Amino acid sequence: MTLMPQSPTLPSISVIVPVCGRRDDLRDLYLQYKQGLAMIELPHEFVFVIDGERSDAATTLTELQQAGEDITVVSLTRSFGESAALMAGFERAKGEVILTLPAHHQVQPQDICKLVAALGSSDMAIGYRSPRHGGWFERARRNSFHRLVNFVTGVRLRDLGCGARAMRRQVLEEIDLYGDQHRFLAILANRLGFRVSEVALRQSPLDRRKRMYRPREYARQLLDLFSIFFLVRFTKRPLRFFGMLGAGTFGIGALLTAYLCVQRLAFDEKLSDRPALLLAALLVVLGVQVFALGLLAELMIFTHARGMKDYRVEEVIQYPEENEPLPSAAMPTTDGDINQQMQRGTPPAIA
Amino acid sequence: MRDAKVTTHSTAAIGGRQGVRPRLSVIVPLYNEQESIRPLYAAIVQALGDIGCSFEMVFVDDGSSDDTATIARQIARFDSRLRLVKFRRNYGQTPAMAAGIEHAHGEILITMDGDLQNDPADIALLLEQIEAGYDIVVGWRHNRQDKLVTRKIPSRIANWLIGKVTGVPIKDNGCSLKAFRADLIKSIPLYSEMHRFIPAMASIAGPRVAQIRVRHHARRYGQSKYGLSRIYKVLLDLMVIKTVTTFASRPLRWFAILSLPLLAAATVLFGHTFMTLMTQRSAVSIPLAGSGIIFLASAMILLFAGALAELVYFRGDLREREFVRLTQRIRRASLHRPPAASTSRS
Repeated sequence: MTLMPQSPTLPSISVIVPVCGRRDDLRDLYLQYKQGLAMIELPHEFVFVIDGERSDAATTLTELQQAGEDITVVSLTRSFGESAALMAGFERAKGEVILTLPAHHQVQPQDICKLVAALGSSDMAIGYRSPRHGGWFERARRNSFHRLVNFVTGVRLRDLGCGARAMRRQVLEEIDLYGDQHRFLAILANRLGFRVSEVALRQSPLDRRKRMYRPREYARQLLDLFSIFFLVRFTKRPLRFFGMLGAGTFGIGALLTAYLCVQRLAFDEKLSDRPALLLAALLVVLGVQVFALGLLAELMIFTHARGMKDYRVEEVIQYPEENEPLPSAAMPTTDGDINQQMQRGTPPAIA
Repeated sequence: MRDAKVTTHSTAAIGGRQGVRPRLSVIVPLYNEQESIRPLYAAIVQALGDIGCSFEMVFVDDGSSDDTATIARQIARFDSRLRLVKFRRNYGQTPAMAAGIEHAHGEILITMDGDLQNDPADIALLLEQIEAGYDIVVGWRHNRQDKLVTRKIPSRIANWLIGKVTGVPIKDNGCSLKAFRADLIKSIPLYSEMHRFIPAMASIAGPRVAQIRVRHHARRYGQSKYGLSRIYKVLLDLMVIKTVTTFASRPLRWFAILSLPLLAAATVLFGHTFMTLMTQRSAVSIPLAGSGIIFLASAMILLFAGALAELVYFRGDLREREFVRLTQRIRRASLHRPPAASTSRS
């Protein structure tokens, strides 16, 4: 196991802990994380983001600060959600490597170094709990969820619920997280062309005690899946989605109408006392509406398309005229991200 | 696996070094073309050397998994006229084209395939037409070296349909060898899988389009990367192009047109109900009257969607007057009347 690649400046690590709904005793957690991080001999900082009114967490963290621990605490006025908390923490973070850790005991803190080590060959590493505790139902549910995600996005991941992730700073610079997208951070990073790897982390024994999912959570997960499905697959081509759906519905409705008309005209069956015609009309109309929604979405994309680029340039390569072996000063290109890479002195990784 | 000897230059840096921006930019998207890239480079350099104007090449490596990027980098090391834009991963031909257009600095942009099926010697012909005052020149592979059933026949039908729908009768939309006035093409949104429809998309600006016959060679290396595209995709894309090019600035009208059949159905059904009521021959048919109501409601919702679309356009960053300005300037500047033969105006 190798640690970070040899780069001219040792990257420091920023640990972001979003303190949202589920949380354990933060003092205990912080000490464990600190111990785990001590195994990586790199400078690090802790940023806790308290998402809304959570006085117990705030008290604990204040006590820690008073005890001389070097931690940054960001308090949000109301609960904005974990994605917003992560982004708020990221704004404070100074490290080259960003490590997000859950505010509850989820993985063994000794394994955190594995995540950072994985960045040697990838841009982002997400943990998965293994061996994972849970009954057959939980396992089947998790499995089917991740399989669905794989089907929808083409990314095979094992544990999207794992809050322990390590990434290069650039990943979060390019991703604009909102809503509940923190769960899909790895997928979004993959979409942007970052290399994402998975690292097996031992599950914390304390993680096993609690049941995390309630029925509401299942519904939320399904909605998440749908939104990521749409974001990943059809952002640039909404009519592919709406058009198929609309045309299908319209087709069924038209067939049903035709069938009813034939019945009425050729076999003289009464339409009056049957609601089938209503159903047929509804299907036709629904089809048209869905299609029209797709067109509307297309217009939205079209009128904004010049502002949003659907590709990421890794680097622009051009050598000066005199065949100089050494690069001259890096100049800004049309792509901001390259410029930033060059300025920070970290050459973009070559896959 | 890391190469620190990478230089990136801004427009200013290159402009400052060479004094002027190049006349021509040749844009080539490359995806797994390790065998083709050297002969392609040689052919372009030779063809453009014969023409004798200043030029640059923009190669876009679309996340190739083979040695395409390495070879291109080697060439770039010896030729400062080559700019290599390297994608982080494979994004597809349209994004590659769009990136090439974005990173090109020339006054005239030439796009071509990276698989040697286009002949760089034809660039001179395209250039001639641009200099004659056309904004877009489209190559037409009249002697196409591809399979008949899977490639040629579907493309012929598609081209006919595209011509009908967009009003830009181009015989060969699939040919990548095209020339554009840079300021015009840079103002056209290019996304998704639009590279087949660039002239159609560009029709929003009302350009003068010429098409000329170009040579087409059979593939020498590698596999064809595009199979028989799905019919539904082409049909939906056509619908999109019609919507965005003709009605982007007047969406309410488009949605009103779409709602006409629904209104007609509602009228017929309501008429029937009304007649029944008048003649009192039988009871009013609930399903028929109900269907009428459904159709009417749907037509109304469509109209509201159109109103929403007006809002979308209003908040968007696209304005037709930009295109008007672009084409206006062309008309004033062009002294030559384009030749009438083998041309089409849109």
